[in-house]
Amino acid sequence: MSDPRLVSILIPAVGGQGGGVLSEWIVEAALADGVLAHSTSIPGVAQRTGSTSYYIEVFAGGTGEAPAFSLYPVPGALDVLLAPEFLEVGRAIELGFPSPSRTTIIASMHRLYSIHEKIATGRGIHPIEQLEAAARAFSRSLIAFDALAVAREHDTEVNAVLLGALAGSGVLPVRADAFRAAIERKGVGVTANLKGFEVGLDLALRRDAPPAPREAAPAPSPNVARFATAIAPFPESLQPVLAEALARLVDYQDRAYAERYLARLRPFVDADVELAGLVARHLAVWMTYEDAIRVADLKSRAGRLDRIRREVRARDAEIVVTDYLKPDLDEIYGILPYRLVAPFARWAERRWPHGRPTLGAHVRTTTVAGYLRLWLLARCRRLRPISYRAHHEHARMERWLAAVAKCAERDFGLAREVARAAQLVKGYGDVRRRMTVAFEHLVESVLAAAALEAGRGDGFGVSTGLAGRYRALVLGGPEGEAPAASLAARVLERLRAADRRGALELLEAPRG
Amino acid sequence: MERSFAEDVKQLGYGAGQVLRGEGILAITKALLQSGVSYVGGYPGAPVSHLLDVMADANAPLLEPMGIYFEMSGSEAAAAALLGASINYPMRGAATWKSVVGTNVASDALSHVASAGVLGGALVVIGEDYGEGASILQERTHSAALKSSIPLLDPRNSLQAFARFVEEGFGLSEACNEPVFFSIRIRACHMRGTLVCKDNVRPRIGMRSPLAAPSFSLERINLPPFTYAMEAQKFEHRLPAARRYIREHGLNEHHRGEEEHLGVVMQGGLWNTTVRGLHLLGLADVYGKTPVPLLVLNALHPLVPEELVGFMRGKRLLLVVEEGMPNYIERELKALAHEEKLDVEIHGKDLLSPHGEYVPHLVTGGLRRFVGLAGLRCQAGEAIEERYRALVDHREKVGAVLTRPVAKRPPSFCTGCPERPVFSAMKILRSKEPGVGDTHVAADIGCHTFSTQAPFNVGNSVLGYGMGLASSSAVAPMFGKRVISVMGDGGFWHNGLTNGVANAMYNKQDSVLVILDNFYTSATGQHPNPSTGTNARREPVAMTIPDALRGLGVRWIRTVNPYRIADFIGTLREALTTPTRGLKVIIAKGECMLERQRRERPRLRARAAAGARVVQPRFGVDPDVCTGDHSCMRLNGCPSLTLRENPDPLKDDPIAHVDDTCVGCGVCGEVAHAAVLCPSFYEVRTITNPGRWQRLLGRVRASVIRRLAAAT
Repeated sequence: MSDPRLVSILIPAVGGQGGGVLSEWIVEAALADGVLAHSTSIPGVAQRTGSTSYYIEVFAGGTGEAPAFSLYPVPGALDVLLAPEFLEVGRAIELGFPSPSRTTIIASMHRLYSIHEKIATGRGIHPIEQLEAAARAFSRSLIAFDALAVAREHDTEVNAVLLGALAGSGVLPVRADAFRAAIERKGVGVTANLKGFEVGLDLALRRDAPPAPREAAPAPSPNVARFATAIAPFPESLQPVLAEALARLVDYQDRAYAERYLARLRPFVDADVELAGLVARHLAVWMTYEDAIRVADLKSRAGRLDRIRREVRARDAEIVVTDYLKPDLDEIYGILPYRLVAPFARWAERRWPHGRPTLGAHVRTTTVAGYLRLWLLARCRRLRPISYRAHHEHARMERWLAAVAKCAERDFGLAREVARAAQLVKGYGDVRRRMTVAFEHLVESVLAAAALEAGRGDGFGVSTGLAGRYRALVLGGPEGEAPAASLAARVLERLRAADRRGALELLEAPRG
Repeated sequence: MERSFAEDVKQLGYGAGQVLRGEGILAITKALLQSGVSYVGGYPGAPVSHLLDVMADANAPLLEPMGIYFEMSGSEAAAAALLGASINYPMRGAATWKSVVGTNVASDALSHVASAGVLGGALVVIGEDYGEGASILQERTHSAALKSSIPLLDPRNSLQAFARFVEEGFGLSEACNEPVFFSIRIRACHMRGTLVCKDNVRPRIGMRSPLAAPSFSLERINLPPFTYAMEAQKFEHRLPAARRYIREHGLNEHHRGEEEHLGVVMQGGLWNTTVRGLHLLGLADVYGKTPVPLLVLNALHPLVPEELVGFMRGKRLLLVVEEGMPNYIERELKALAHEEKLDVEIHGKDLLSPHGEYVPHLVTGGLRRFVGLAGLRCQAGEAIEERYRALVDHREKVGAVLTRPVAKRPPSFCTGCPERPVFSAMKILRSKEPGVGDTHVAADIGCHTFSTQAPFNVGNSVLGYGMGLASSSAVAPMFGKRVISVMGDGGFWHNGLTNGVANAMYNKQDSVLVILDNFYTSATGQHPNPSTGTNARREPVAMTIPDALRGLGVRWIRTVNPYRIADFIGTLREALTTPTRGLKVIIAKGECMLERQRRERPRLRARAAAGARVVQPRFGVDPDVCTGDHSCMRLNGCPSLTLRENPDPLKDDPIAHVDDTCVGCGVCGEVAHAAVLCPSFYEVRTITNPGRWQRLLGRVRASVIRRLAAAT
């Protein structure tokens, strides 16, 4: 155990978060309060979104003689972890800095996502629950809240709020007034920062009070009432999803279209409710695929411009909105009647096998002329049911539903995975084409695997596992698509060679 | 350079007794003025850039009146050559740079200065960019000091110690007639503390009291036979003189202790880490008082045998805490122990790590093993073990809680950076037209080195500052298509003009060079270079990249706006496919956004407050249009383009979102367009204080649109 008069503070920040100012405030406050203090930092390439860290030691020794300050935080000997971002808490824990017996963790729970979390095609975000659990497990006491939300609410800065929380935590031998004085001396955004400091201070002092639930339980959607009669025949658990789905479909096309959806769904309800829930969700999303008409419709909605005004806090300022639209030929003839354009489409697809020409447009949606272009396009919705795109999309949906149904005859677990695969069908233009190819290859491979497994009677572990792994790989990012395809090929190979165990080994996700 | 360091400049003017408060590098800068330097120069680079930043701001108010010459040199080689002034004339001078890379660039001039020797004290402040936070390859500067017989100081970490050792450094340099390395580590540079100042000293020889006559002496010309004499000088006179100075001025510290049978020898810069390690094991108090004898080597070269032997004599075990390989100190000690037939067991790299930064848990672990071997009178082994376990036990439990590794945060381009879209363009061309765009890319040093990181992974090699083009000389002829080299304006003016462009023209290289001209050497902190239009002393200069290129005979030159991605792709395609042979240069010209915002944001805020019409663009994503495939992120990577939970109850995947740090550079829209991604992006220009006419027009438009929207 080291000298109790020596208190160490690590601030693991992300470039541009003002960690430097925060550490200056702390040092200045300590010095002004007659406490020896020193700090150092690893700005690294801070301004450029990298991880950066500041380290401070304060010493409330009597003699005035300076201790042998360390320039590094010592894993396991850290008193305070003051984190302006929540993933950095995880990183500090990974590096072994905070210890359950000693460290007070004060952290903002908001996230600045790492590029690696952003570039996944699906969900690459580190589970916040896991970070929270880790912070609790590796701290003697924990003060964690969304300091960014607090800062926004009070029109101040995250680092000022955290400074207040630090003062309120009472771990430093420095008076609150000394911190206030430090903010004033530093002279940047004094009023805003002082406000932030008080809010943080207050939060930390009231930390023993039961924390307010982060978000209240969502109120039942009005759609449940709106479609009460339509969803009544369906199981309780399905009704909320169905209500949303129906609202979406009516909004997208019309009542008849919503009826068609229910008709497609019904067979699964009798089979397995969980499966039906998955189909209900993915089918609704797929049936409301984003064609040019839908995009124009969404972008010409009443209230969109008000939403944008709020986003940019326009208040009484004027705004000019320019939409970046660039449909390719497919999307353009996709909204025209199938009979009319099918031959042309076939020709175009032969003429330009890798991506059709595109039509770039910058639409000034805040001008009447610009808005009209979107508004008129949105009016083409009547054409949609007979459109070229509808023809193909619905054919694909039918193939998917048939596959799910076929799998449901064999095993519900398998059927659910095939239903989930529809999550892959998303994006526009080339992206959507690419994802559709991956999706259809997934379904095809899984059906083949299931057929092979059906013969043997040791269940459908391989096919189910394949469906899951395949989807995970594709959702990991484009570089996962080729490996997914080859994985499927190798799995089928082994199944054909009656090597079930071998096939299962292939499906074990790599560790880490 | 828009930033000012007024507060620091004020402190540089402090007189005797006044207390300076700031970072280590500021104390060093102040100490240069207290040592009576006649000239200061250097090339910016972390962690020592601040020295030059402050000097630049101090030039007019402080340096010029004192007659001190200051320059931000064109390269480390130029900075080292600056020290040549001290060969013939008894004037003190200093140069600074990032090491080891800067020392490599400087070494030709440095060797010559070290060979000829100096009359006036010459100090090289090297920022040892090693370990956590380093941005360069990992080597130490120690061997450069050894090969050129340049004394090397590595003082313990306190501002007062830094100031003292700068002054001693000049004394040492004059005593042994060699330039002296003053080495400082990253964390030490950025360490905040206090310094009790002395008066600044006006140099005897300066711009205000210039030299009258040249001094000539063949003995100072690096030509045989004098070079042989110079070599002999080094080992017969200069290094012995240096050892004498080090001993007489007590640069190294010998702390005695009761545990006489053992001892720890360390580099001065590692004193703090070592005594903290002892403290954590219960073997030192918080002030660093310890029963374990310590030898703190603030001077690493030359070592003083008498001091080392004196410390070893009578000891059974010794630990050497020496960062970096080769472990010169440990070997020297072993050799001396052998010669002196001392019965002492010497440990070092075997108990610590052979490589890497000596961070506390590594040093503490080594000390624990060492005292375990040695055994202590003052402490029971169990007690030490218990303290050690208290530090490390919890680490085993991490894996259980964090089942998934925390995502890395690779450094990347700032929001609105004009360099990022260049690599978006390259990545788009690579994927859409692999026949042309999927080629070898020689990257360079600068912010743009981040192109090699996620999400771009553009750039197959990184060789050295301004070396991008030269590094593709042998690749280009081996390729079935043209290769691309990248260079920043910083790298271009530092080294790329000669070693890159001149070399490529001379050897008729047929390839494409992309120069990212953002008006500053941005990676080091927006330092001025010829593209800035002024030098570090704010004097206007008229040097442009196109003029320099034309001067070397480059004919195919295109200057493009990097924010127009489609245009850039077009120009790049042309360069890669045109029948015109030879070097083709594309200059992507756009000001560093960080610097631009630093200047513009306050200006616009003031204008808006004053009631003037201000237009501010930014971008947004329609949450209901975005399908959450994140293709935009893979081609863009802007910090302000991020994720948010999907508001759609029927969808799982998070969607794209532009946060309020967006500066409206337009790249997200351009990328979505050029790569034909999706129609989710929109630009919104906010017009503060619009004119009456515009307000009216806006109202009319809004009402028409509202009516149309309602008509559904």
